[in-house]
Amino acid sequence: MDILEVSELNVAFPTRYGLVRASQNVNFSVKEGEICVLVGETGSGKTVIGQAILHLLPQNAKISGSILYAGEEILSISDQKFSRLRGHEISLVPQNPTDSLDPLMRCGQQIAEVLDICGTSREDQLSRTTSILSDLSFSDPELVAASYPHMLSGGMRQRLTTGIALAASPRLLIADEPTKGFDYTARKRTVDMFLDLERMGIDSILMITHDLVFAEMIADTAGVLYSGELVEFGPAADVFSSPLHPYTKGLVAALPKNGMTPMPGMSPGLARLPNGCYFHNRCATPCEENSVHPVMRKVCGRFVRCNRC
Amino acid sequence: MQPLLSVECLSKNYGHGDIFHDVSFTVDAGETIGLFGMSGSGKSTLGKCLIGLERVSSGHVLFEGVDLFTLSERKLRKLRPAMQMLFQHPEMSMDPRMRLCDSVTEPLAYHERRKRSDVFLDLLPLIAAVGLRSDLFSCYPNQLSGGEIQRAMMVKIYSLSPKLIIADEPTSMLDMSVQAQIFGLMKNLQKKNNTACVFISHDPYVMLAMCDCIGILDGVRFRMMSAEEFAEYVAILSV
Repeated sequence: MDILEVSELNVAFPTRYGLVRASQNVNFSVKEGEICVLVGETGSGKTVIGQAILHLLPQNAKISGSILYAGEEILSISDQKFSRLRGHEISLVPQNPTDSLDPLMRCGQQIAEVLDICGTSREDQLSRTTSILSDLSFSDPELVAASYPHMLSGGMRQRLTTGIALAASPRLLIADEPTKGFDYTARKRTVDMFLDLERMGIDSILMITHDLVFAEMIADTAGVLYSGELVEFGPAADVFSSPLHPYTKGLVAALPKNGMTPMPGMSPGLARLPNGCYFHNRCATPCEENSVHPVMRKVCGRFVRCNRC
Repeated sequence: MQPLLSVECLSKNYGHGDIFHDVSFTVDAGETIGLFGMSGSGKSTLGKCLIGLERVSSGHVLFEGVDLFTLSERKLRKLRPAMQMLFQHPEMSMDPRMRLCDSVTEPLAYHERRKRSDVFLDLLPLIAAVGLRSDLFSCYPNQLSGGEIQRAMMVKIYSLSPKLIIADEPTSMLDMSVQAQIFGLMKNLQKKNNTACVFISHDPYVMLAMCDCIGILDGVRFRMMSAEEFAEYVAILSV
Protein backbone atom coordinates (compact mmCIF):
# COMPACT_ATOMS: atom_id res chain seq x y z
CA MET A 1 0.00 0.00 0.00
CA ASP A 2 1.12 3.54 -0.67
CA ILE A 3 1.62 5.52 2.48
CA LEU A 4 2.34 8.68 0.54
CA GLU A 5 1.17 9.52 -2.93
CA VAL A 6 2.18 12.78 -4.52
CA SER A 7 0.54 13.62 -7.81
CA GLU A 8 0.90 16.61 -10.11
CA LEU A 9 2.51 18.66 -7.36
CA ASN A 10 3.31 22.19 -8.51
CA VAL A 11 4.97 24.77 -6.28
CA ALA A 12 5.81 28.24 -7.51
CA PHE A 13 6.99 31.44 -5.87
CA PRO A 14 6.29 34.87 -7.32
CA THR A 15 9.50 36.92 -7.22
CA ARG A 16 10.63 40.10 -8.87
CA TYR A 17 12.45 38.00 -11.46
CA GLY A 18 9.19 36.32 -12.44
CA LEU A 19 7.49 33.16 -11.29
CA VAL A 20 10.01 30.67 -9.89
CA ARG A 21 8.63 27.21 -10.55
CA ALA A 22 10.36 25.23 -7.84
CA SER A 23 8.49 22.04 -8.44
CA GLN A 24 6.54 21.02 -11.53
CA ASN A 25 4.17 18.12 -12.08
CA VAL A 26 5.92 15.91 -9.57
CA ASN A 27 4.43 12.42 -9.30
CA PHE A 28 5.74 9.74 -7.02
CA SER A 29 4.66 7.45 -4.24
CA VAL A 30 6.23 5.93 -1.16
CA LYS A 31 5.09 2.42 -0.34
CA GLU A 32 4.75 1.22 3.19
CA GLY A 33 8.01 -0.24 4.51
CA GLU A 34 10.10 1.42 1.85
CA ILE A 35 12.92 3.93 1.74
CA CYS A 36 12.34 6.32 -1.13
CA VAL A 37 15.15 8.71 -2.02
CA LEU A 38 14.81 11.86 -4.08
CA VAL A 39 18.19 12.87 -5.49
CA GLY A 40 18.73 16.32 -6.83
CA GLU A 41 21.28 19.07 -6.95
CA THR A 42 21.06 22.48 -5.35
CA GLY A 43 18.05 24.32 -6.74
CA SER A 44 16.36 21.25 -8.17
CA GLY A 45 13.38 21.72 -5.86
CA LYS A 46 13.91 18.72 -3.63
CA THR A 47 13.54 20.49 -0.28
CA VAL A 48 10.38 22.24 -1.51
CA ILE A 49 8.73 18.84 -2.03
CA GLY A 50 9.44 17.83 1.56
CA GLN A 51 8.18 21.15 2.85
CA ALA A 52 5.02 20.96 0.74
CA ILE A 53 4.22 17.57 2.25
CA LEU A 54 4.67 19.00 5.75
CA HIS A 55 2.81 22.28 5.13
CA LEU A 56 6.00 24.19 5.90
CA LEU A 57 6.18 26.32 2.75
CA PRO A 58 6.14 30.09 3.16
CA GLN A 59 2.85 31.96 2.76
CA ASN A 60 3.59 33.27 -0.72
CA ALA A 61 4.01 29.82 -2.28
CA LYS A 62 1.49 28.90 -4.94
CA ILE A 63 0.72 25.21 -4.56
CA SER A 64 -1.42 22.89 -6.63
CA GLY A 65 -1.78 19.16 -7.03
CA SER A 66 -2.58 16.47 -4.55
CA ILE A 67 -0.77 14.68 -1.75
CA LEU A 68 -2.41 11.61 -0.26
CA TYR A 69 -1.22 10.30 3.08
CA ALA A 70 -2.58 6.81 3.79
CA GLY A 71 -5.31 7.48 1.23
CA GLU A 72 -6.27 10.84 2.71
CA GLU A 73 -5.79 14.19 1.02
CA ILE A 74 -3.44 16.34 3.11
CA LEU A 75 -2.40 19.15 0.77
CA SER A 76 -5.66 21.08 0.86
CA ILE A 77 -6.52 20.59 4.54
CA SER A 78 -6.10 23.51 6.94
CA ASP A 79 -2.83 24.04 8.77
CA GLN A 80 -4.70 23.55 12.00
CA LYS A 81 -5.87 20.09 10.95
CA PHE A 82 -2.45 19.27 9.61
CA SER A 83 -0.73 20.13 12.87
CA ARG A 84 -2.33 17.00 14.28
CA LEU A 85 -0.41 14.94 11.72
CA ARG A 86 2.90 16.79 11.77
CA GLY A 87 5.28 15.11 14.18
CA HIS A 88 2.73 12.46 15.20
CA GLU A 89 2.24 10.77 11.84
CA ILE A 90 4.71 12.46 9.51
CA SER A 91 7.93 13.78 10.95
CA LEU A 92 10.87 15.75 9.61
CA VAL A 93 14.59 15.39 10.20
CA PRO A 94 15.64 18.89 9.20
CA GLN A 95 18.49 19.76 6.91
CA ASN A 96 20.98 21.39 9.21
CA PRO A 97 21.15 19.72 12.63
CA THR A 98 23.26 22.49 14.14
CA ASP A 99 20.80 25.24 13.25
CA SER A 100 17.78 23.12 14.08
CA LEU A 101 18.69 22.48 17.70
CA ASP A 102 18.14 24.98 20.49
CA PRO A 103 21.65 25.93 21.65
CA LEU A 104 20.42 26.89 25.13
CA MET A 105 18.55 23.69 25.88
CA ARG A 106 19.99 20.40 27.06
CA CYS A 107 19.72 17.65 24.43
CA GLY A 108 17.52 15.41 26.54
CA GLN A 109 15.06 18.25 27.15
CA GLN A 110 14.70 18.80 23.42
CA ILE A 111 13.41 15.25 23.01
CA ALA A 112 11.31 15.48 26.18
CA GLU A 113 9.63 18.62 24.83
CA VAL A 114 8.07 16.55 22.04
CA LEU A 115 6.99 13.88 24.52
CA ASP A 116 5.48 16.58 26.71
CA ILE A 117 3.30 17.82 23.84
CA CYS A 118 2.25 14.21 23.19
CA GLY A 119 1.06 14.00 26.77
CA THR A 120 3.65 11.61 28.15
CA SER A 121 3.92 11.89 31.93
CA ARG A 122 7.03 13.46 33.50
CA GLU A 123 8.34 10.19 34.91
CA ASP A 124 8.01 8.38 31.61
CA GLN A 125 9.62 11.21 29.66
CA LEU A 126 13.02 10.57 31.20
CA SER A 127 13.07 6.84 30.57
CA ARG A 128 11.66 7.27 27.06
CA THR A 129 14.33 9.88 26.22
CA THR A 130 17.05 7.55 27.42
CA SER A 131 15.66 4.65 25.43
CA ILE A 132 15.36 6.74 22.25
CA LEU A 133 18.97 7.88 22.64
CA SER A 134 20.27 4.40 23.26
CA ASP A 135 18.27 3.12 20.28
CA LEU A 136 20.17 5.64 18.18
CA SER A 137 23.38 3.96 19.39
CA PHE A 138 24.59 6.65 21.75
CA SER A 139 26.90 4.77 24.09
CA ASP A 140 26.13 6.98 27.09
CA PRO A 141 22.54 8.27 26.71
CA GLU A 142 22.41 9.94 30.14
CA LEU A 143 25.52 11.98 29.41
CA VAL A 144 24.22 13.05 26.00
CA ALA A 145 20.84 13.98 27.46
CA ALA A 146 22.59 16.24 29.96
CA SER A 147 24.86 17.97 27.45
CA TYR A 148 24.21 20.95 25.20
CA PRO A 149 24.22 20.67 21.38
CA HIS A 150 27.58 22.43 20.99
CA MET A 151 29.22 19.66 23.01
CA LEU A 152 28.29 17.04 20.41
CA SER A 153 29.90 16.31 17.05
CA GLY A 154 28.08 16.84 13.77
CA GLY A 155 27.18 13.17 13.47
CA MET A 156 25.86 13.05 17.02
CA ARG A 157 23.72 16.15 16.43
CA GLN A 158 22.35 14.46 13.33
CA ARG A 159 21.33 11.47 15.41
CA LEU A 160 19.84 13.77 18.03
CA THR A 161 17.59 15.57 15.50
CA THR A 162 16.56 12.14 14.25
CA GLY A 163 15.73 11.25 17.85
CA ILE A 164 13.52 14.33 18.18
CA ALA A 165 11.74 13.40 14.95
CA LEU A 166 11.19 9.86 16.25
CA ALA A 167 9.96 10.83 19.71
CA ALA A 168 6.26 10.81 18.81
CA SER A 169 6.62 7.49 16.89
CA PRO A 170 5.56 8.75 13.46
CA ARG A 171 4.74 6.40 10.58
CA LEU A 172 6.52 8.36 7.89
CA LEU A 173 9.85 10.08 8.29
CA ILE A 174 11.06 12.76 5.91
CA ALA A 175 14.82 13.27 6.12
CA ASP A 176 16.27 16.30 4.36
CA GLU A 177 19.98 16.05 3.48
CA PRO A 178 21.02 13.86 6.40
CA THR A 179 24.65 13.53 5.25
CA LYS A 180 25.59 17.03 4.20
CA GLY A 181 29.27 17.61 4.90
CA PHE A 182 29.87 14.20 6.49
CA ASP A 183 33.00 12.16 5.96
CA TYR A 184 32.48 8.68 4.71
CA THR A 185 32.64 6.84 8.04
CA ALA A 186 29.98 9.21 9.42
CA ARG A 187 27.97 8.61 6.26
CA LYS A 188 28.21 4.87 6.75
CA ARG A 189 27.00 5.23 10.32
CA THR A 190 24.05 7.32 9.12
CA VAL A 191 23.15 4.59 6.64
CA ASP A 192 23.23 1.99 9.42
CA MET A 193 21.08 4.21 11.61
CA PHE A 194 18.39 4.70 8.97
CA LEU A 195 18.34 1.02 8.06
CA ASP A 196 18.01 0.27 11.75
CA LEU A 197 14.96 2.51 12.18
CA GLU A 198 12.79 -0.33 10.96
CA ARG A 199 13.43 -1.99 14.29
CA MET A 200 12.11 1.10 16.06
CA GLY A 201 8.80 1.06 14.26
CA ILE A 202 9.53 3.52 11.47
CA ASP A 203 9.05 1.73 8.22
CA SER A 204 8.58 4.38 5.56
CA ILE A 205 11.19 7.00 4.92
CA LEU A 206 11.29 9.72 2.29
CA MET A 207 14.88 10.84 2.00
CA ILE A 208 15.93 13.99 0.20
CA THR A 209 19.60 14.22 -0.65
CA HIS A 210 22.18 15.38 -3.14
CA ASP A 211 24.55 12.61 -2.12
CA LEU A 212 24.34 9.96 -4.81
CA VAL A 213 26.62 7.51 -3.00
CA PHE A 214 24.46 7.70 0.11
CA ALA A 215 21.28 7.28 -1.96
CA GLU A 216 22.72 4.22 -3.63
CA MET A 217 23.52 2.64 -0.26
CA ILE A 218 20.10 3.11 1.26
CA ALA A 219 17.32 3.47 -1.30
CA ASP A 220 14.62 1.00 -2.32
CA THR A 221 13.18 3.36 -4.89
CA ALA A 222 14.84 6.47 -6.22
CA GLY A 223 13.77 9.58 -8.06
CA VAL A 224 16.08 12.03 -9.78
CA LEU A 225 15.10 15.70 -9.88
CA TYR A 226 16.29 18.26 -12.37
CA SER A 227 15.09 21.87 -12.45
CA GLY A 228 11.98 21.13 -10.42
CA GLU A 229 10.95 18.05 -12.36
CA LEU A 230 11.35 14.37 -11.78
CA VAL A 231 13.33 13.05 -14.73
CA GLU A 232 13.66 9.44 -13.65
CA PHE A 233 11.86 7.38 -11.03
CA GLY A 234 12.05 3.68 -10.34
CA PRO A 235 13.71 0.89 -8.34
CA ALA A 236 16.96 2.29 -6.96
CA ALA A 237 19.17 -0.57 -8.11
CA ASP A 238 18.07 -0.03 -11.74
CA VAL A 239 18.26 3.76 -11.62
CA PHE A 240 21.83 3.83 -10.33
CA SER A 241 23.28 0.81 -12.15
CA SER A 242 21.73 1.42 -15.56
CA PRO A 243 20.47 5.00 -15.72
CA LEU A 244 18.24 5.84 -18.69
CA HIS A 245 17.92 9.62 -18.56
CA PRO A 246 21.02 11.45 -19.84
CA TYR A 247 21.09 13.60 -16.67
CA THR A 248 21.15 10.55 -14.40
CA LYS A 249 23.89 9.09 -16.60
CA GLY A 250 25.85 12.33 -16.22
CA LEU A 251 25.43 12.32 -12.44
CA VAL A 252 26.63 8.74 -12.12
CA ALA A 253 29.63 9.47 -14.36
CA ALA A 254 30.52 12.52 -12.24
CA LEU A 255 31.03 10.39 -9.12
CA PRO A 256 34.66 10.26 -8.00
CA LYS A 257 34.68 6.44 -8.07
CA ASN A 258 33.49 6.49 -11.69
CA GLY A 259 36.24 8.80 -12.86
CA MET A 260 34.59 12.20 -12.23
CA THR A 261 33.64 13.01 -15.81
CA PRO A 262 32.07 16.44 -15.53
CA MET A 263 28.80 17.38 -17.24
CA PRO A 264 29.04 20.62 -19.20
CA GLY A 265 27.07 23.69 -18.23
CA MET A 266 24.86 24.51 -15.28
CA SER A 267 21.19 23.90 -14.55
CA PRO A 268 18.93 26.68 -15.83
CA GLY A 269 17.51 29.20 -13.38
CA LEU A 270 14.02 28.23 -12.23
CA ALA A 271 12.63 31.62 -13.26
CA ARG A 272 13.88 31.34 -16.84
CA LEU A 273 13.11 27.80 -17.92
CA PRO A 274 13.25 27.00 -21.63
CA ASN A 275 10.16 25.73 -23.46
CA GLY A 276 11.37 22.31 -24.54
CA CYS A 277 13.49 19.87 -22.57
CA TYR A 278 15.25 21.62 -19.67
CA PHE A 279 18.31 19.44 -20.05
CA HIS A 280 18.68 19.98 -23.81
CA ASN A 281 21.74 22.29 -23.81
CA ARG A 282 23.71 20.00 -21.46
CA CYS A 283 22.63 16.71 -22.97
CA ALA A 284 25.27 14.37 -24.39
CA THR A 285 22.77 12.99 -26.91
CA PRO A 286 20.44 15.92 -27.60
CA CYS A 287 17.38 15.70 -29.84
CA GLU A 288 17.59 17.78 -33.01
CA GLU A 289 14.32 19.51 -32.28
CA ASN A 290 13.74 20.99 -28.85
CA SER A 291 10.20 22.26 -29.05
CA VAL A 292 8.25 19.52 -27.29
CA HIS A 293 8.58 19.29 -23.54
CA PRO A 294 9.14 15.63 -22.67
CA VAL A 295 6.56 13.86 -20.51
CA MET A 296 7.13 11.04 -18.02
CA ARG A 297 6.86 7.72 -19.81
CA LYS A 298 7.15 4.20 -18.55
CA VAL A 299 10.30 2.51 -19.87
CA CYS A 300 11.56 -0.87 -18.58
CA GLY A 301 9.63 -0.72 -15.32
CA ARG A 302 10.46 2.87 -14.42
CA PHE A 303 9.44 6.36 -15.40
CA VAL A 304 11.71 8.51 -17.54
CA ARG A 305 11.21 12.02 -18.85
CA CYS A 306 13.10 11.92 -22.14
CA ASN A 307 11.94 12.03 -25.75
CA ARG A 308 14.79 9.74 -26.76
CA CYS A 309 14.13 6.87 -24.37
CA MET B 1 66.23 20.99 -7.76
CA GLN B 2 64.85 22.34 -4.54
CA PRO B 3 61.21 21.49 -3.90
CA LEU B 4 58.65 24.29 -3.81
CA LEU B 5 57.43 23.37 -0.37
CA SER B 6 59.15 21.14 2.07
CA VAL B 7 57.75 20.19 5.40
CA GLU B 8 60.13 18.86 8.04
CA CYS B 9 59.09 17.06 11.21
CA LEU B 10 56.07 19.25 11.76
CA SER B 11 54.05 18.80 14.90
CA LYS B 12 51.22 20.73 16.48
CA ASN B 13 49.50 20.58 19.81
CA TYR B 14 47.01 22.79 21.57
CA GLY B 15 48.36 21.82 24.98
CA HIS B 16 46.50 18.55 25.38
CA GLY B 17 48.43 16.05 23.28
CA ASP B 18 49.57 16.18 19.69
CA ILE B 19 47.12 16.92 16.88
CA PHE B 20 49.76 15.49 14.56
CA HIS B 21 53.47 14.89 14.90
CA ASP B 22 56.49 14.19 12.77
CA VAL B 23 54.89 15.19 9.48
CA SER B 24 57.40 15.45 6.65
CA PHE B 25 56.87 15.69 2.91
CA THR B 26 57.81 17.78 -0.09
CA VAL B 27 55.79 19.27 -2.92
CA ASP B 28 57.28 20.13 -6.30
CA ALA B 29 55.89 22.62 -8.79
CA GLY B 30 52.94 21.18 -10.71
CA GLU B 31 52.52 18.31 -8.25
CA THR B 32 49.41 17.49 -6.25
CA ILE B 33 49.76 16.05 -2.77
CA GLY B 34 46.72 14.78 -0.93
CA LEU B 35 46.12 14.93 2.81
CA PHE B 36 43.59 12.32 3.85
CA GLY B 37 41.92 11.83 7.20
CA MET B 38 38.57 11.66 8.96
CA SER B 39 36.92 14.69 10.57
CA GLY B 40 38.95 15.77 13.56
CA SER B 41 42.18 14.17 12.35
CA GLY B 42 43.91 17.55 12.06
CA LYS B 43 44.13 17.78 8.30
CA SER B 44 42.71 21.31 8.15
CA THR B 45 45.01 22.42 10.96
CA LEU B 46 47.95 21.00 9.03
CA GLY B 47 46.78 22.89 5.95
CA LYS B 48 46.68 26.14 7.91
CA CYS B 49 50.15 25.50 9.31
CA LEU B 50 51.55 25.04 5.80
CA ILE B 51 50.41 28.51 4.81
CA GLY B 52 51.34 30.21 8.07
CA LEU B 53 47.81 30.83 9.32
CA GLU B 54 48.50 28.68 12.33
CA ARG B 55 51.75 28.41 14.33
CA VAL B 56 53.36 25.00 14.58
CA SER B 57 54.67 23.58 17.85
CA SER B 58 57.84 22.29 16.28
CA GLY B 59 59.31 21.62 12.87
CA HIS B 60 59.86 23.69 9.76
CA VAL B 61 57.90 24.69 6.70
CA LEU B 62 60.23 25.76 3.90
CA PHE B 63 58.71 27.61 0.98
CA GLU B 64 61.31 27.83 -1.81
CA GLY B 65 63.94 27.14 0.83
CA VAL B 66 62.82 29.90 3.23
CA ASP B 67 61.49 28.96 6.65
CA LEU B 68 58.09 30.61 6.99
CA PHE B 69 58.20 30.80 10.76
CA THR B 70 61.49 32.69 10.98
CA LEU B 71 60.30 35.43 8.65
CA SER B 72 59.10 38.75 9.92
CA GLU B 73 55.48 39.67 9.30
CA ARG B 74 56.65 42.13 6.65
CA LYS B 75 58.68 39.62 4.68
CA LEU B 76 55.94 37.05 5.01
CA ARG B 77 53.50 39.51 3.47
CA LYS B 78 55.65 39.57 0.33
CA LEU B 79 55.45 35.78 0.08
CA ARG B 80 51.74 35.51 0.73
CA PRO B 81 50.47 36.12 -2.83
CA ALA B 82 52.44 33.06 -3.95
CA MET B 83 50.53 30.74 -1.65
CA GLN B 84 46.78 30.71 -1.52
CA MET B 85 44.15 28.73 0.25
CA LEU B 86 40.80 27.50 -1.05
CA PHE B 87 38.41 26.98 1.84
CA GLN B 88 35.67 24.47 2.50
CA HIS B 89 32.73 26.86 2.82
CA PRO B 90 32.64 29.06 -0.24
CA GLU B 91 29.85 31.22 1.24
CA MET B 92 31.98 32.05 4.24
CA SER B 93 35.13 32.95 2.35
CA MET B 94 33.56 35.90 0.54
CA ASP B 95 32.65 39.12 2.31
CA PRO B 96 28.81 39.14 2.33
CA ARG B 97 28.73 42.93 2.08
CA MET B 98 30.95 43.17 -0.99
CA ARG B 99 29.89 42.65 -4.54
CA LEU B 100 31.69 39.76 -6.22
CA CYS B 101 33.54 42.12 -8.58
CA ASP B 102 35.01 43.96 -5.57
CA SER B 103 35.89 40.71 -3.81
CA VAL B 104 37.70 39.11 -6.74
CA THR B 105 39.66 42.23 -7.63
CA GLU B 106 40.71 42.95 -4.06
CA PRO B 107 43.90 40.82 -3.97
CA LEU B 108 45.45 42.34 -7.09
CA ALA B 109 44.23 45.81 -6.21
CA TYR B 110 45.91 45.41 -2.82
CA HIS B 111 49.15 43.70 -3.78
CA GLU B 112 49.81 45.69 -6.95
CA ARG B 113 48.01 48.89 -5.96
CA ARG B 114 45.93 49.05 -9.10
CA LYS B 115 42.44 50.31 -9.79
CA ARG B 116 39.76 47.66 -9.34
CA SER B 117 38.10 48.38 -12.67
CA ASP B 118 41.39 47.80 -14.51
CA VAL B 119 42.01 44.61 -12.58
CA PHE B 120 38.53 43.36 -13.45
CA LEU B 121 39.17 43.82 -17.17
CA ASP B 122 42.37 41.80 -16.84
CA LEU B 123 40.47 39.05 -15.06
CA LEU B 124 37.88 38.56 -17.80
CA PRO B 125 39.75 35.69 -19.54
CA LEU B 126 40.07 33.89 -16.20
CA ILE B 127 36.38 34.46 -15.49
CA ALA B 128 35.54 32.89 -18.84
CA ALA B 129 37.90 30.00 -18.09
CA VAL B 130 36.02 29.07 -14.90
CA GLY B 131 32.73 29.22 -16.79
CA LEU B 132 31.06 32.23 -15.18
CA ARG B 133 29.26 35.08 -16.91
CA SER B 134 30.87 38.43 -16.13
CA ASP B 135 27.48 40.03 -15.34
CA LEU B 136 27.18 37.72 -12.32
CA PHE B 137 29.94 39.72 -10.68
CA SER B 138 27.64 42.61 -9.85
CA CYS B 139 25.84 40.26 -7.43
CA TYR B 140 26.39 39.76 -3.73
CA PRO B 141 27.49 36.29 -2.55
CA ASN B 142 24.07 35.41 -1.09
CA GLN B 143 22.52 35.76 -4.55
CA LEU B 144 24.65 32.97 -6.00
CA SER B 145 24.92 29.23 -5.60
CA GLY B 146 27.80 27.54 -3.77
CA GLY B 147 29.28 26.29 -7.04
CA GLU B 148 29.27 29.78 -8.52
CA ILE B 149 30.92 31.30 -5.46
CA GLN B 150 33.58 28.60 -5.40
CA ARG B 151 34.33 29.37 -9.06
CA ALA B 152 34.54 33.09 -8.25
CA MET B 153 36.87 32.13 -5.39
CA MET B 154 39.10 30.37 -7.91
CA VAL B 155 39.21 33.55 -10.01
CA LYS B 156 40.23 35.46 -6.88
CA ILE B 157 42.95 32.97 -6.01
CA TYR B 158 44.35 32.38 -9.48
CA SER B 159 44.42 36.14 -10.20
CA LEU B 160 47.60 36.25 -8.13
CA SER B 161 49.21 33.40 -10.14
CA PRO B 162 50.11 31.52 -6.96
CA LYS B 163 52.81 28.89 -6.89
CA LEU B 164 51.09 26.85 -4.22
CA ILE B 165 47.43 26.28 -3.51
CA ILE B 166 46.12 24.63 -0.38
CA ALA B 167 42.64 23.34 -1.13
CA ASP B 168 40.79 22.43 2.07
CA GLU B 169 37.85 20.26 0.99
CA PRO B 170 36.88 22.77 -1.67
CA THR B 171 33.87 20.77 -2.84
CA SER B 172 32.50 18.92 0.17
CA MET B 173 29.60 21.39 0.31
CA LEU B 174 28.87 21.16 -3.41
CA ASP B 175 26.88 18.87 -5.66
CA MET B 176 28.50 15.86 -7.29
CA SER B 177 28.30 17.21 -10.84
CA VAL B 178 29.56 20.63 -9.74
CA GLN B 179 32.35 18.90 -7.83
CA ALA B 180 33.46 17.15 -11.01
CA GLN B 181 33.43 20.49 -12.85
CA ILE B 182 35.43 22.32 -10.17
CA PHE B 183 38.04 19.56 -10.07
CA GLY B 184 38.29 19.62 -13.85
CA LEU B 185 38.90 23.37 -13.69
CA MET B 186 41.48 23.03 -10.93
CA LYS B 187 43.38 20.47 -12.96
CA ASN B 188 43.33 22.66 -16.08
CA LEU B 189 44.45 25.81 -14.29
CA GLN B 190 47.09 23.83 -12.45
CA LYS B 191 48.51 22.43 -15.66
CA LYS B 192 48.51 25.83 -17.32
CA ASN B 193 50.30 27.61 -14.47
CA ASN B 194 52.35 24.69 -13.17
CA THR B 195 50.92 25.30 -9.72
CA ALA B 196 51.63 22.95 -6.85
CA CYS B 197 48.61 21.87 -4.87
CA VAL B 198 48.06 20.41 -1.44
CA PHE B 199 44.66 18.83 -1.51
CA ILE B 200 42.77 18.10 1.70
CA SER B 201 39.79 15.75 1.63
CA HIS B 202 38.01 12.94 3.43
CA ASP B 203 36.76 11.33 0.24
CA PRO B 204 39.16 8.54 -0.78
CA TYR B 205 37.89 8.44 -4.37
CA VAL B 206 38.43 12.15 -4.83
CA MET B 207 41.99 11.63 -3.55
CA LEU B 208 42.62 8.91 -6.09
CA ALA B 209 41.30 11.04 -8.92
CA MET B 210 43.24 14.19 -8.03
CA CYS B 211 46.52 13.36 -6.31
CA ASP B 212 49.94 12.06 -7.27
CA CYS B 213 50.64 10.86 -3.76
CA ILE B 214 48.71 10.95 -0.54
CA GLY B 215 49.58 11.54 3.09
CA ILE B 216 47.43 9.89 5.69
CA LEU B 217 46.66 11.44 9.05
CA ASP B 218 45.03 8.93 11.32
CA GLY B 219 46.30 9.85 14.74
CA VAL B 220 49.03 7.22 14.90
CA ARG B 221 51.62 8.55 12.55
CA PHE B 222 51.86 10.34 9.28
CA ARG B 223 52.45 8.16 6.24
CA MET B 224 52.99 9.07 2.60
CA MET B 225 51.65 6.65 0.02
CA SER B 226 51.70 6.52 -3.74
CA ALA B 227 48.32 6.49 -5.48
CA GLU B 228 48.60 2.70 -5.98
CA GLU B 229 49.36 2.04 -2.31
CA PHE B 230 46.50 4.33 -1.33
CA ALA B 231 44.07 2.41 -3.55
CA GLU B 232 44.97 -0.74 -1.61
CA TYR B 233 44.63 1.11 1.70
CA VAL B 234 41.13 2.29 0.74
CA ALA B 235 40.12 -1.21 -0.28
CA ILE B 236 41.06 -2.43 3.21
CA LEU B 237 39.31 0.52 4.92
CA SER B 238 35.91 -0.03 3.39
CA VAL B 239 35.72 -3.71 4.43
